[in-house]
Amino acid sequence: MPSIIFKDTKKNIQTLTKKAPVKYAVEADIKPGITEAYVTFDKKVFTYRLRISAVDEYKEDTSVILKKQTGLKTTLSVEVVEPMDPIPLSQFRKGKKKLTEFSDFEEVELPRIEVVEKTNYMDSLSSEVKEILELAKKKNVEISVSMAEELTSYKKSLKPKQFDELLMRVAKDLESKRIDPFEAVGIIAAQSIGEPGTQMTMRTFHFAGVREMNVTLGLPRLIEIVDARRIPSTPSMTVYLKPEFEKSEDIVMNVVKELENTTVIDVADIVTDITQMLLTIRPDEAKMSERLVNHSDLLDALAKMKGITVISDASNNDIVVKPQQESFKRLYQVQEQLKLLTIKGVPGIKRAIARVDQVTKSWILYTQGSNLKEVLEIDEVDANRTYTNDIIEIAQVLGIEAARNAIYNESLRTLSEQGLEVDQRHLMLVADMMTFGGSVRAVGRQGISGRKSSVLARAAFEITTKHLLRAGLLGEVDPLTGVAENIIVGQPITLGTGAVNLVYRAFSK
Amino acid sequence: MGKFNVLQHDLVPEHHVVPKKDEDKVLSEIGIARDLLPKISRSDPAIKALEEIHGPLESGTIIKIIRKSPTMGYSVYYRAISSEVFK
Repeated sequence: MPSIIFKDTKKNIQTLTKKAPVKYAVEADIKPGITEAYVTFDKKVFTYRLRISAVDEYKEDTSVILKKQTGLKTTLSVEVVEPMDPIPLSQFRKGKKKLTEFSDFEEVELPRIEVVEKTNYMDSLSSEVKEILELAKKKNVEISVSMAEELTSYKKSLKPKQFDELLMRVAKDLESKRIDPFEAVGIIAAQSIGEPGTQMTMRTFHFAGVREMNVTLGLPRLIEIVDARRIPSTPSMTVYLKPEFEKSEDIVMNVVKELENTTVIDVADIVTDITQMLLTIRPDEAKMSERLVNHSDLLDALAKMKGITVISDASNNDIVVKPQQESFKRLYQVQEQLKLLTIKGVPGIKRAIARVDQVTKSWILYTQGSNLKEVLEIDEVDANRTYTNDIIEIAQVLGIEAARNAIYNESLRTLSEQGLEVDQRHLMLVADMMTFGGSVRAVGRQGISGRKSSVLARAAFEITTKHLLRAGLLGEVDPLTGVAENIIVGQPITLGTGAVNLVYRAFSK
Repeated sequence: MGKFNVLQHDLVPEHHVVPKKDEDKVLSEIGIARDLLPKISRSDPAIKALEEIHGPLESGTIIKIIRKSPTMGYSVYYRAISSEVFK
């Protein structure tokens, strides 16, 4: 469904919003049949959507709102003006190409997909499991889904009465294995992760094979995860392709080329002529074909650069670039800019390698550098499986719950790769705690520990004077409910037996 | 919305909006006040996707999250939409 895009002033949109439904006169010929128009104020992001019911030729009329005073050609019947979340220009498509620039009233398409929720897990369970869960509910005991799955095998061999007995015993056992109320789970988790941490290597690990890639693992990686760094030291993505593409080597190699960020220096030599103040780009044919770049791609990329004159020589492939301002400084700047000018590829992805998975015999791509949002938009990529090791990026692109899962997966993988076994529940607790407030928060001074409500607990952790001074200035009150503060003042801590207050009520005589 | 559906990604667990009339029942079941629930930002991609289906969601709405858990099979978690926006 085509729609049109144009730039307008805030004032015009305000009057339209106020007076809609209304007729709006614009200065271009528009084909009838257009129902949607997107409006931008800054030519970068689109913030308003106009619903259009009819397109007519412009006739002078007092009820019509004019976009401009002169040159009006068409009248749009605007039904509603809807403000929306900003859509960047790059999301619009013309034919199959991404838009990078546009002219007013251009016809474009906005690809969209229907958003559907995941199917409820209850539907995916087998009827036997459901039956057991229902039975447990009737008996007023709680058992987990995995427990119910295990019980299905006994369901057939046992008589109903025996099975009921089994169910009750399982439930009783579960109850006794539960963690006690007021148990200090956080401390147990900290110790359980901390102790194996002392056995971890400080070494980074290399992928075996000719094309190797560096990935931070071991203790540095674990620290990175709990510190919630903005950018991990070795960002890396695992890119899966859609099932119909992942067996074909040709398509895989094309995707690799599409992913890798190719700059001018990767496919051409740059020769600087200081006497004539010229830069000559000598494309290397072999490198160009290897990276699937052609001459026009190169010219397109150069056209985006400002402050230069591009002279394309038809007789040979060389491209001559001349800075508009003649100075050695400028010449040097242009040369440096040219080196890093992106021709194609996803920004941020330095390299991509493809490897065959030994079990499924399908191709999986690994990248150096990470840009989840843009990679997921590529047609061949399976957007449901592809992931990155940059947790903050996952939180931004896929949401806080995905980030929680990523923290859990990454920390579990880091530990198990070193042959260390930590109970999963400890890692889940850390992941849940880090994502509690809706954003990924580090463990430590800047994050969870730094935001404790108790002054004494914060002072006992790091930068004692800062917290005490601040508390004194602001008159903070410490209710002494935590562990650290009670130890400081010499009271029993509020955990375990200390959690219970005994009140003695004397017999009345 | 772009070309991919956030809610269908493997890392993203099931998100369901708890209907207004069921909210009190849920809160009494887990025995916690609404403002003490874990938060989910108003600008969270999963919330944006849910808004495409259910229309605008006000802050304070409870989201039921059903996670695939390696220990329990499935586990249920609740988050309340907070008006905080993180960048």
